[in-house]
Amino acid sequence: MRSVLPAVAEQLFRDIHKTYQETSQIPNDLLIALRFVFGPCALQALDLVDQHSVTCLSSPSGRKAFQVVGGSGTLYTCFLSCHYCPCPAFAYTVLRRNEGLLCKHILAVYLCQAMAVTQQESVSDQQMSILLSRTSAP
Amino acid sequence: MADILSLVFRTFTSPVGLKKQLPVRPPPPAAGSSLLLGDPELSRSVLLLAAVTAASELGMRVVFFTQTQIQSLPVSLQRCFSYPRTLEELLLQVAGLHESTSTSPTPPSLIIVDRLEGFLCGAGGSSHGGSHPAQLSCAAHLSALLCDTAAFLTQILEQRGSNSGPCRFIVSFLSEVDSGQGSKDPSGTDPLLDVLDRYFQVRCTLDPDRGYGAAAAGVQEVWHIYLSGRGITEASFTKDREEKPAVYFTNLLKTKSYSRDNINVHFNPRVILWVKIDPF
Repeated sequence: MRSVLPAVAEQLFRDIHKTYQETSQIPNDLLIALRFVFGPCALQALDLVDQHSVTCLSSPSGRKAFQVVGGSGTLYTCFLSCHYCPCPAFAYTVLRRNEGLLCKHILAVYLCQAMAVTQQESVSDQQMSILLSRTSAP
Repeated sequence: MADILSLVFRTFTSPVGLKKQLPVRPPPPAAGSSLLLGDPELSRSVLLLAAVTAASELGMRVVFFTQTQIQSLPVSLQRCFSYPRTLEELLLQVAGLHESTSTSPTPPSLIIVDRLEGFLCGAGGSSHGGSHPAQLSCAAHLSALLCDTAAFLTQILEQRGSNSGPCRFIVSFLSEVDSGQGSKDPSGTDPLLDVLDRYFQVRCTLDPDRGYGAAAAGVQEVWHIYLSGRGITEASFTKDREEKPAVYFTNLLKTKSYSRDNINVHFNPRVILWVKIDPF
């Protein structure tokens, strides 16, 4: 199992990006495909997107990371270039059981990027280092 | 990173002559992440050689993280080494590598972490033996942070037109299977290794010879090196695919010391008999 997306998922996000740019919505066939590829966390991720839960953090050095507000209000920091989330679902379902590609937080990041609805926020370099190194969500 | 390991092995090449030597091309530089498995002492020696080789022959800026203090280092190398005591300290130091890119003319292009299992021991409240979910998450966190940090530093190196890119990283790890703490099932795997394999493109396994190769070679210890993983492409194989892809043979560390550019490094001697590259 790799920490990057399979080709079918990448194509799906390209299709969502193109369609959303043209129509500002995701058609049913793409929603069905999303559910098929990612399972139950697809709907949960879409809820997070609707709640504007994903923010791209940037620091003066140019380093970036994503921060996702979870269902319970917990903040999760995810990386740009590979899959990792400090949430229990990622640790159990993805890492330990190898039963899912990603958790709803990482999927929400991909969806927000495809739909260009990611919030933007600036932090200092030191704050970025602390956020990237946290072993558990605060 | 696997290309740097290949350079280290080629630098110390001296054919033993026990088997036919086959030409092979090293893995491409794009295989930027390597996991080094096996005997901790030998792994450390290989990592130190990789650091010195990368710094002196390739002009790369190296950052070396280890819990164990190196006994003596030349002044020119001391700034490359950092000694975090815990996983939290290591994570913070790796995460902080981006902070110096705006002030330093040369960003790091090689990140090395020695003995990952030592940092993970006690992570999540568990010992090394076991697949505690918190320990798996910690291993994934550090690996993903290294991936993301290397990707960022690669971007900086490219923007500055540096020849040192891409940024690579290599981590040494002693698995449960190799340490004898794991399952007695010969087909058992270390769950931590399964997690690490997600983030590393190349696995370099150092395996002691358990046959009569050492006696045949007239030495006390013989090691086999295996390179495997998705970072090893078909370009690494010879044209004759019917033969096993045994690569070449080296006498690594024939002498007890390595000296170059006034850098003296002393190791325990080992002999590595042959290198094999496996398809992924």
